[in-house]
Amino acid sequence: MVWIRFVLMSLATLFVAAPASAQDKGPHVRIELVAETDRPAPGSEVTLAFASTPQKGWHAYWQNPGDAGLPARAEWTLPAGASAGPLRYPVPHRLIIGGLMNYVYEAPFAQFVTLKLPLGAQPGTAFPVKVKLDYLVCTNEICVPEKAELATALTIGDGAVSTDRRARFDAWRAALPRPLGSQATYQVDGNIFRLGVPFPAAATVSGEGYFFPVTDGAIDYAAPQRVVRDGDRIVVETPAKRSLPAIEGVLAFGSQGFALSASPGTVPPPSASALATAAAAPSEGWIVTALLAFLGAVVGGVILNIMPCVFPILSLKALSLVKAGDDSGNPRGEALAYTAGVVLTCLALGGALLALRAGGAAVGWAFQLQDPRVILFLLLLVTGISLNLAGLFELPTPSFVNRASSRGHGGSFMTGMLAAFVATPCTGPFMGAALGAALILPWPAALAIFGGLGLGIALPFLLLGFIPALRRRLPKPGAWMATLRHILSVPMFLTALALAWVLGRQAGVDGMALGLGAALTASFGLWWTGRRQARGAARAWLPALPLLLLALAALALVRPAPAGAERPAIAGAEAFSEARLAQLRADGRPVFAYFTADWCVTCKVNEKGTIETEAVTEAFAQHKVAVLVGDWTNGDPVLGRFIERHNRAGVPLYLWYKPGSAEPEVLPQVLTQAMLRNLSSGG
Amino acid sequence: MRKLVCTGIALACVAAVAVPLAAEPGIGAVAPHFRAFDMAGKIVNLSDYRGKTVVLEWNNPGCPFVKKHYESGNMQKTQAAAVAQGAVWLTINSGAAGKQGHMSGPEAQKFVAGQSARPSAYLLDPQGLIGKGYGAKTTPQIYIIDAKGRLTYNGAIDDKPTANKADIAGARNHVLAALGEMRAGKPVSVPESRPYGCSVKYPD
Repeated sequence: MVWIRFVLMSLATLFVAAPASAQDKGPHVRIELVAETDRPAPGSEVTLAFASTPQKGWHAYWQNPGDAGLPARAEWTLPAGASAGPLRYPVPHRLIIGGLMNYVYEAPFAQFVTLKLPLGAQPGTAFPVKVKLDYLVCTNEICVPEKAELATALTIGDGAVSTDRRARFDAWRAALPRPLGSQATYQVDGNIFRLGVPFPAAATVSGEGYFFPVTDGAIDYAAPQRVVRDGDRIVVETPAKRSLPAIEGVLAFGSQGFALSASPGTVPPPSASALATAAAAPSEGWIVTALLAFLGAVVGGVILNIMPCVFPILSLKALSLVKAGDDSGNPRGEALAYTAGVVLTCLALGGALLALRAGGAAVGWAFQLQDPRVILFLLLLVTGISLNLAGLFELPTPSFVNRASSRGHGGSFMTGMLAAFVATPCTGPFMGAALGAALILPWPAALAIFGGLGLGIALPFLLLGFIPALRRRLPKPGAWMATLRHILSVPMFLTALALAWVLGRQAGVDGMALGLGAALTASFGLWWTGRRQARGAARAWLPALPLLLLALAALALVRPAPAGAERPAIAGAEAFSEARLAQLRADGRPVFAYFTADWCVTCKVNEKGTIETEAVTEAFAQHKVAVLVGDWTNGDPVLGRFIERHNRAGVPLYLWYKPGSAEPEVLPQVLTQAMLRNLSSGG
Repeated sequence: MRKLVCTGIALACVAAVAVPLAAEPGIGAVAPHFRAFDMAGKIVNLSDYRGKTVVLEWNNPGCPFVKKHYESGNMQKTQAAAVAQGAVWLTINSGAAGKQGHMSGPEAQKFVAGQSARPSAYLLDPQGLIGKGYGAKTTPQIYIIDAKGRLTYNGAIDDKPTANKADIAGARNHVLAALGEMRAGKPVSVPESRPYGCSVKYPD
């Protein structure tokens, strides 16, 4: 039965669809004019949306259409005293046809217009809004200019918004670019147009970066762009077309956009390390990129050798080489085995990362470090190594390892693996860029980078192994080695401390306490073993084993702290909500509400330099000022609406609610401690 | 020898970078040379017109913006005025085979006759070589080359970027204005404008 209905339905669709596609008449973009409220209040502003749905295969244009095309034009017919603002567009898509760039919408989208109502409008009267919209729609082949005469009947009222209307507008609002509070700068450097955008390094963005210029003529639209994150800024580079006095545009990452304006100035090129990441942007030149990234990885690996986390291990191995002397032993073989250990471990970690990447998981290098269990394991491992270096106990060498390390190979291989695994916490600052490149490059190139990293870590050792002259420069073994070993335990202990801190960041105080407890348990076991070893007792490891296992059992218990628990603004600050604001004001408390976002440099500067300072915190506490924080990082439309209502397009926004006064005071975007202290003392 | 190879590689790199940049000549730059078949199968050489003002018009008869200027007679009027002033008017079709606006020689002849158009020649550029050499992006788009072979204007036909014929009356015709200024020995006051219309249908 079901299939008969299916066949009938399919046939019906065929008959319905066929005439529709045959006539193929417009409008090719269906447009509906929707007001956020049908009962706007006198003197208020109401947002209108052109809810547009392009037909399949057709596209409509952004405010700057690109190489060809036209933006929409609106001609309003409004009651006296009312005025309509400019069209505000959501972030567009790129569409290259025959080498020409088009900035378009191929899926449903909505442009916004702010309509200002006259103060004298009488409640209850009709308020007709009419608009003639001229716009262009095209397929890849043809273009059709279309017209739409739209109207919506409003009635002057109280401005109430229905929930379903609100939800619709919120969804559209989320697609609008967010205004980046800070000013961008651009420079035309020879043939290169370079745009510098302040953007905190800590703020995360996803998707490919692209700069959509609103101002026409500055750049060649169809030319490729290079978007690089370089510390606290984003640099966009693309071939220049001509110099202009100022440029407006939208910097987009995926569907997330930031509206900005740029003035001429000096924009230094991005740093080499940042470039290594960006050059990895998909392009034909990836072989060169891979080569550069490989070299960068080798250099980074060499630098890693002097990091506190690797240096002690390296030194251990160097000591063994010294022990091996010039002729006894096999320094070359040992060096090669160590290298193999390092490189294979790096490749294995890289391979795992690439496998995860292929699986669509959003991971970065040191991904294993985002799991507190891995951190705890490393903490235990590093604590053990530190105690060993400090001389608390000696590592027994199983007979097979002994045999292997008499030829030097097995032991060296294991040391190499250890060095590589332990080195990953240190990769951040040096290797972040090259490894970032590895994440977007084709997998063979990515693996080459991991190999390069391993090679870099192993390089000094390889040199020692192969150049006897260097080895001869090394001091002769002696009692100083034990002292050196003890000294080397210090950076290792520091590494343990750093890991404990990371654990605390990830798993909270409970997790850190658990980790330190586990480390203490393990240390106790190792100490006990050391005592037995000193006495020459048989089975010296017997008491240590259960304690070590107990310490490892802590791995099963440690959990990441809930996300969001980690945003410690100023003491006593609460998340912003209008309900909470109303409640606090009803209680007669002064309220300081601030709106911030991770990608807003000005916000961060104000928070670090003013709001979160001791003096301000104290003043707030003393005068019982309630602090509400609105985090607009993800473009929360509820906050967006609230911000819009205060005549600010974006963050930062600082509001001061004095007890008793109806309207908040909008504070300037650059705060001073004195200003906040004065306000809280009622001055 | 090694030096030579290095220099060669460096030059090749420079050339590879320079070619796409050279694609769109700036105002005052020497207009790129081209040769093309016209609708009658005759070869037209840009250099044949040295000493004369040359207007290039990108054309796609299917484009609504082109239709606006032909159906209203505005394009023909502009062509006739330019030719009467002694200028050469070359209409160029860079539409690729199988795409909107692409025409064979006889089809182009029919179009020109049907519209009573007045170009000095109608050139066929189905591979888009001339179009890309000049960086032509829309139909219509107009370029003016002066008697010395230098580009003096690049952009739209007028300042009303719409498909509405009624807008022609109140528009400033950039082409006639530029030709008039050039004849008077004055610099072109609006040497560049944003071309509007449909995208040129280049081969993919």
